Amino acid sequence: MKLTHTWVFYISFLSLGYSLGQQNDNLPIDDSLNLKKVKSINLRVGFDLYRTILSRVSNDFEGFEVVGDLKVGEDFFIALELGNLETTKQVEQVNFTTNGSYLKMGFDYNMLENLEGMNNHITIGARIGSSKHNQILNSYTILDRTRYWSTSDLPVTNGFATGERSDLNALWFEVVLNFKVQILKNIYSGVSLRLNRLISDKIPSNFDNIYIPGFNKKTQDNIFGAGFNYTLTYNFSLLSKKK
Amino acid sequence: MFKPLIKFCVGLLTLILVINCERDDICIEDIRESPDLIILMLDIENKIQRKEPAGFSILAIGNNVELPSRGTKDSIVLPLKIQENIVQFEFITNKGTAEENIDTLQINYERFDSFINSACGFRSNYILEKLPVSVLNPGNNWIKGFTILRDTISDETNAHLGILH
Repeated sequence: MKLTHTWVFYISFLSLGYSLGQQNDNLPIDDSLNLKKVKSINLRVGFDLYRTILSRVSNDFEGFEVVGDLKVGEDFFIALELGNLETTKQVEQVNFTTNGSYLKMGFDYNMLENLEGMNNHITIGARIGSSKHNQILNSYTILDRTRYWSTSDLPVTNGFATGERSDLNALWFEVVLNFKVQILKNIYSGVSLRLNRLISDKIPSNFDNIYIPGFNKKTQDNIFGAGFNYTLTYNFSLLSKKK
Repeated sequence: MFKPLIKFCVGLLTLILVINCERDDICIEDIRESPDLIILMLDIENKIQRKEPAGFSILAIGNNVELPSRGTKDSIVLPLKIQENIVQFEFITNKGTAEENIDTLQINYERFDSFINSACGFRSNYILEKLPVSVLNPGNNWIKGFTILRDTISDETNAHLGILH
């Protein structure tokens, strides 16, 4: 099963190139032939391959992300991502573990006009994201440039400021660029790039949200962040009939 | 329809790259480091009068390196140990003469750390104990007493501890 996923993943890139190459040959569709088309509910659900693989290969990351979208118009989708993760990071002078879950909701708008029979998407969309998380400070070093005592540069690993800061949260806004390619009937592979802007976050006492689940790295000087995912989704077409 | 789309995608990608490459991992020099203890040598007769002992020097116990010479002879900067709650120094007066007198002092304090940022880490601050100094060699001491000027050591703007002699 895992091997199949890997192949599906590679093939998705090939098919992405192919579908883009075909773009200029697009012909207008004769609407008069589509009279018998029956409206269907298209619900697509899937998961993020990147986080799933990373959980297997990395000791410092454990998590998953579930994605879904519902077609509500010719080119409009309501989209949702739900994730949970626990990750340990060493960022410069501090080592911490973040655990928590996040929910992102919003919409996607498809900008790609497909050939008849093809069903690929290049969408631009927006999300509102929120997380509930905990930060556990594992160790840190103390700023002492004029070191006189040799033990000054040893990291502090227990007591003092180390420990858990629980019940934190964050709220942010995302702009999402998403490429989805139909690789098999009803199966899609997707890549999305995300630009995040933090709206608010609850700062842990005597520490900071250096990493926020779903938002990723929060930098000190600005409130922007970035993220991505590689998804594999299955399309459930309900009430659909062949024309 | 397709060309503006490509432009937009390239633009977004560039923006993401630029954001990820921003400066975030340098602890700039302007950030205040962990403070040291500042002591004043005061006159026992007049406790607000600074008085420099004759032939005065300080040795750290446990480190043979000479103490960094910051401040004057009546206002001295002493580095505290981050990993411990005590630090010991030998206060020597009339050094090298027949009246040489060494008092071994132990400074007692508690520590608390405050977060600066991920690049700099934490700054340690100290609070002097109720009994800030213990004399380890009682009898024939040239140091007569102590006075706490400020018990919280979180900056180096003013002296924290007065030593009376």
